Amino acid sequence: MRRRPALRIAAACFFACVCLVGIDALLFRTNLYRSILEPDSSTGTFELTLFREQEFQKRHPNDRLVVTFGDSRFAYLPRLANEITAESGLVLRHAGIGGSDARTWYYMLRELDPTASRYRAVVFGVTDYDDEDEPLNPLLDIRALHYVIARLTWADVVPFALSFPDRHLRWEALRGAVLKGIVLQTDIHDFLTHPKERIHKAKVYRRFYDEWTYGFVETDKTVEGLAIDWKNWTVQYPPGADENVRSTVEANLMRRDDPPDGHMYKFRSEWFGRMIDRYRNSRTKVIFVRLPRGPIARPEGLVQKPTHSIRDFASRSNVLLAGEHIFEPLEQPALFKDGDHLNRAGIARFSPMLAREIARLLREAHAF
Amino acid sequence: MLFNTTGFFVFLAVVLLLFYACPRALRRYLLLAASYFFYGSWNYKFIVLLLTLTAIDYTAGIWLERFRPGAKKRAVLIVSLCANLGFLGFFKYYNFLAANLAHLLGKPVNSFFLDIVLPLGISFHTFQSMSYVVDVYRGEQPAVHSPIDYALYICFFPQLVAGPIVRARNFFHDLYRWQRPSAEDVSRGLFLLTLGLTKKMAFADQFAKVANSYFANVGANPGMLTAWSGVCAFGLQIYFDFSGYTDMAIGMAKLLGFHFPINFRRPYLASSITDFWRRWHISLSTWLRDYLYIPLGGNRHGSWMTYRNLMLTMLMGGLWHGASWNFMIWGGYHGALLSVERMLRGGRPDREEWDWLYPLRALLTFGLAQTGWVFFRAANLTESLHVLGQMYGGARGHLLLEPWHIGLALLALVLAIGEEKRGWAERIMKAPAPAYACALALMFFCIEVFGVIDASIPFIYFQF
Repeated sequence: MRRRPALRIAAACFFACVCLVGIDALLFRTNLYRSILEPDSSTGTFELTLFREQEFQKRHPNDRLVVTFGDSRFAYLPRLANEITAESGLVLRHAGIGGSDARTWYYMLRELDPTASRYRAVVFGVTDYDDEDEPLNPLLDIRALHYVIARLTWADVVPFALSFPDRHLRWEALRGAVLKGIVLQTDIHDFLTHPKERIHKAKVYRRFYDEWTYGFVETDKTVEGLAIDWKNWTVQYPPGADENVRSTVEANLMRRDDPPDGHMYKFRSEWFGRMIDRYRNSRTKVIFVRLPRGPIARPEGLVQKPTHSIRDFASRSNVLLAGEHIFEPLEQPALFKDGDHLNRAGIARFSPMLAREIARLLREAHAF
Repeated sequence: MLFNTTGFFVFLAVVLLLFYACPRALRRYLLLAASYFFYGSWNYKFIVLLLTLTAIDYTAGIWLERFRPGAKKRAVLIVSLCANLGFLGFFKYYNFLAANLAHLLGKPVNSFFLDIVLPLGISFHTFQSMSYVVDVYRGEQPAVHSPIDYALYICFFPQLVAGPIVRARNFFHDLYRWQRPSAEDVSRGLFLLTLGLTKKMAFADQFAKVANSYFANVGANPGMLTAWSGVCAFGLQIYFDFSGYTDMAIGMAKLLGFHFPINFRRPYLASSITDFWRRWHISLSTWLRDYLYIPLGGNRHGSWMTYRNLMLTMLMGGLWHGASWNFMIWGGYHGALLSVERMLRGGRPDREEWDWLYPLRALLTFGLAQTGWVFFRAANLTESLHVLGQMYGGARGHLLLEPWHIGLALLALVLAIGEEKRGWAERIMKAPAPAYACALALMFFCIEVFGVIDASIPFIYFQF
């Protein structure tokens, strides 16, 4: 003990770090904890979606699979879309998650298609082909860490952390990617509170998630009666409009942005760029779809959009853009449930339109 | 710079690196500079106050040694004590006295208020300084002739803001006979540093969330179980918070070659309130015993004088914590319990052996200690009485603690019993490197999974 104390201490510290990382890896880098994640959490939803799609790939090997990515605004039902595509043989699967963004989709896509060859097309739903900076800067959106945490490998630690421009966020992402228990704390505490219920819930969700999401029926609420006087910047809400309707209208339609700083261009270039690069030498086409933007179209020129990252991507050989105005007829209050999202009738009309447009694009590109 | 922040660990690493890199003669200057930097990082203006008190007591020490026993010597002691208590009284108790005076005169409560910011750790460093002066006066401690050494004794950063209150003879023994820490010291230091951090981040801060939410609005959380769980959460918070801080302070000192006394000895396993005070904030309770209770007469003048002395000592102990009636009541409550225990015990010594009744005695002591925390934590007397009313006469209510909180508390209990009976921590500190490393890793894992990482909850005793 008295001999070489510094060496003993250094060795003990080293072993302590190895041991800590080992415990963390055993729990959070294997399927051990992943299988009992809270299904309704960000990480749990990501993992369930991934599990569902991987299971589908196993059960239905198909070379005409199309996968779509988007946030909650990309509201379509593969069940309805696939009725239309029966003639082309295309099978649409939706791997989008509410609240997610392209950073999250990158990691989802990497897991779903590790060889970059499983899909005929990868479709991204965006609200604009031009880059409009939004109040919530996606470059700074740390929620991505919570979605993808279970899938970050050691090789991802540094690049993932560096993808955040802010020093504090980088540190949060770095330490979380190394010690995943920090990110999963709330989930773990909740599990320890009700372990039996959690295990049961996780099992049930794994078993039925595909069925529930495939057969999902959206609300038939509408925002009929919504009117906006753009000149006077006033809104007339439909009778009985709830807080959700008001907040989404305010956030999505009545938004007057600060002068653009180019964050959306940077974000899209980085993350869509990475995904497009994965398919550079593949038969898979990357398709961008401009989604129905809201119950009322915002006037052109309301905000500055000096850059056009999606249009720039279109010059690449494997990138296709859906017709920009094709879904504009859906932008009406009768087809939306709030300021952002299509309702049941809207989805019923959008899903087949989307399927037809994707089939058209792929046919014209001789992709099938 | 809180002890549980990245900034502090960077500071500590730099200090340790420089300390062992620089020549031995320069090390005390380095520690002094680091300690002032540490204190200045909170509020650099109070360095002047610290320097003033240091200068007064340093000079007093020299003069006390120079003068023979008599009026002059006593005058120096009185001046020094008045200066210490004057500063402490002004910064800590002025607004409390002003509010009570205004109340007596029927004026608005803030009529005589001053905008005073309490200097960090003033209660700790004035008590430490006073103990030095009294020890020199009594001839128990030679005066320190180097102002640098004395200044370092007062502001040594590991214990500057929240103790433990270190006696001069122990500190200067380590300083003047400084030896490079042995491997065992370093093992112990690292272990205590990690243990303290775990206690603070994974235990104290988690219980703090529950206690803070309960005490933020006690009226909105009625019920017996609710009140007990809110109060117990605070009881666990304050223990893990303060003992965690102390463990870190002792650990840091060990890494620098200094040996601080222990400050906590598993107080919630105490079998009586007397035993509790032998285990809780030991450096303060021994200070109060040596510089207040014994000079007041201790137990040498019959039962009633002993009870009076106990009451006075504990009232002062309460007041030391903060300027409010609640702290006074808390001190008085403990003084009364100590007196009652002494009365019931008669001349028999306090029983500490583990027999079949021990769990019951420990549970009763725990309950009494938790009841006392109500006064310590509640914002005022009305709130304290409301909480007590709920604890002892409320409807059923509901538990605020989640099952995993209870799991954490039970884990701590098992570890505490293991430490009490088998000396687990001691064994681990002396264990072969792999076992020692596993223990460190488990503590880090505890921080990873339970640690409150981003919300910075200050150490409770930093406010005293």
